[in-house]
Amino acid sequence: MALTPLSWALPAREEAAWLFSAVDDPSGGHFIAGVALDGQTRFMIDVPERCHGGCLRPNSRQAMLFARRPGTRMHVIDGDSRQLAHTIAAGKGYHFYGHGVFDLSGRYLYVTANRLEDSAGLVRVYDATNGYAHLRDMPLNGIGPHELRLMPDGDTLVIGLGGIQTHPDYGRVKLNLDTMAPALMLMDRHSGEILARHEPSHHQLSCRHLDVAADGTVIAGYQFEGPEWEAHPLICRLDADGHFSELALPVDVTDSLKHYTASVAFSRVSTTVIVTAPRGNRVLLLDAAQGKLVASLALPDAAGARCDGNGGFLVSSGQGGLYRVTLGSATPELIASLEMLWDNHLT
Amino acid sequence: MIASLRRLSLLACALLAAPLSFATDTPTPRDIWHGAVEMQYAELNAASERLEASATRFCQRPDEALKQRLENDWLSAYQAWQAVRFIQFGPIEQNSRGWQLQFWPDRKNLVGSKVRGWLKAAEAPDAQDIASDSVAIQGFPALEYLLYDDAMNEPALSDPAACDLMQAITTHLADTTSALHRDWQAFGEHYLDTADYTETTLASAIQTLEILEDKRLGEPMGLKGAPPNSYLAEAWRSGQSVRLIVSSLEGLRTGFLPGLTALLRKADALPLAEAFREQLDKTLVQASELPPGLVPSLDDEEAFRGLQSLYLDISQLRHLLGNEIAGELGLVRGFNSSDGD
Repeated sequence: MALTPLSWALPAREEAAWLFSAVDDPSGGHFIAGVALDGQTRFMIDVPERCHGGCLRPNSRQAMLFARRPGTRMHVIDGDSRQLAHTIAAGKGYHFYGHGVFDLSGRYLYVTANRLEDSAGLVRVYDATNGYAHLRDMPLNGIGPHELRLMPDGDTLVIGLGGIQTHPDYGRVKLNLDTMAPALMLMDRHSGEILARHEPSHHQLSCRHLDVAADGTVIAGYQFEGPEWEAHPLICRLDADGHFSELALPVDVTDSLKHYTASVAFSRVSTTVIVTAPRGNRVLLLDAAQGKLVASLALPDAAGARCDGNGGFLVSSGQGGLYRVTLGSATPELIASLEMLWDNHLT
Repeated sequence: MIASLRRLSLLACALLAAPLSFATDTPTPRDIWHGAVEMQYAELNAASERLEASATRFCQRPDEALKQRLENDWLSAYQAWQAVRFIQFGPIEQNSRGWQLQFWPDRKNLVGSKVRGWLKAAEAPDAQDIASDSVAIQGFPALEYLLYDDAMNEPALSDPAACDLMQAITTHLADTTSALHRDWQAFGEHYLDTADYTETTLASAIQTLEILEDKRLGEPMGLKGAPPNSYLAEAWRSGQSVRLIVSSLEGLRTGFLPGLTALLRKADALPLAEAFREQLDKTLVQASELPPGLVPSLDDEEAFRGLQSLYLDISQLRHLLGNEIAGELGLVRGFNSSDGD
């Protein structure tokens, strides 16, 4: 049987013909899924632990998917054979947080990780041209780095530092909720120098997920770890001039997110950005330049999001649906409904 | 000093909170749940304070009678926690309080190594030291180690190192449950005003039954694809695993069922509430007739059959709530919305 060719134009490929996501099947088995946009053509790769985020390797046919906190593996998927090409272990004394990103050449891979002996948050650097050999670690002087992306200059990493301390012996127990110190950080990917550290307005606003626009504007989403009866801003912005602010959305909109955001994705065609809120069963469309809400749409267990290349977005649901969200539409359009539970990110 | 302040603020809060219960004429399901859980947290706090006092008395005059009293007070506070464990949202989530009360499962025996570490410490800890340390030392399992572990012949519980540690843990536990009770009262307005908490409460109870079926029974019994493992049972040191399950079921009966019944009455589905109550009562009878421990039953064919019956009863109860009742009420539980990252 002839397979549909994969479409790769990286790193912000124009068209998304093929999606990668961590998924669970209904009986709780963990997989990496490659799904074509029709939702029907797909392949599933069995993995031993639940995965989370992923990234594509520029100038290659490879995609990376990362085990979810406190997982210890990252997986290289070969797009041509649709098989697992490699699995790289975090190594004794380390675990990953579920996200990574390549440099523009596709040689160096930057992965957020935890060094267990001192809970140090790290960006670990790997060389994809040398069998993903581990090269060095760049400390963040903080706990719990999560998603990271490459800035348009190709030299700077932007990193969401969640601030939450966990340890595999304790499972997913959050060990330091009273002393968290989250931040949105910039790091020189060559030297490891920390270029900026922006602190959210409350120490329990865990900065997790983010995306970068072509002009360098960053939008990041928080998860609030404090009392659920309090209200705090959940979305922050680092504008192209490096000014940090939190978006002042209407109180009822912030409330509707249930203190929790999952994916952030820019359209790459306009300044529109989408933020998913699985607990609020909702997606927000925002104008990143204005810092204003454009639309708030109901979408059940809204999880992964990415641009569709035409100014709109593809959004996965933890309940199995794959949706298209466009600026003009009043409701998300269901493209496919799959017997799988999509994790929080689409690659 | 800390304890007296704690009681004072508790009293003040109780007075402030009193008008809430008269706020509406017909109590809504959330009114009923909030009130019932408030009483359960009050009982947890009171039992924890009795435990704290009991530990102090034993340490002043360690004898067999006071040791027995201490064990009873430990068990009744632990049971009071099991009764309200079905609430997994709100103030219990603050500072990982649920984990503070009960760090479990403990695959690496962190409880044992934490307790042994403190027993060897040059200076005895106070409640503040316990508060700053790990969840493995803060709760009922650490106290259980002190009361029941085989290693507690040397040093004995009455030794100053062990007694000081036990008193620090019980004081911290009393502080935590006091704050929990107070915060639940303060949480009331938000809980009652926010319609989504109806689904949250329901989902929390379903998850409690899933944990009961899969983790508290299925895994130690070896029904989940791995051999039986007694160390995965709760309270294996004291042999009270099944007794704690009974308390969780009783807690659902008093804390959850009345609100659920009101909810199903509103939805014109009262027969489902009756079916749930019947199955819950049947399960309670089954659990109460079993020996209090789980581990001894793993090697006893007849006793194991009793555990299997309980497992099946809980499985049916979970199905009733998680499928039939949730379906009737249109509750759909998410994947990332319940455990995202």
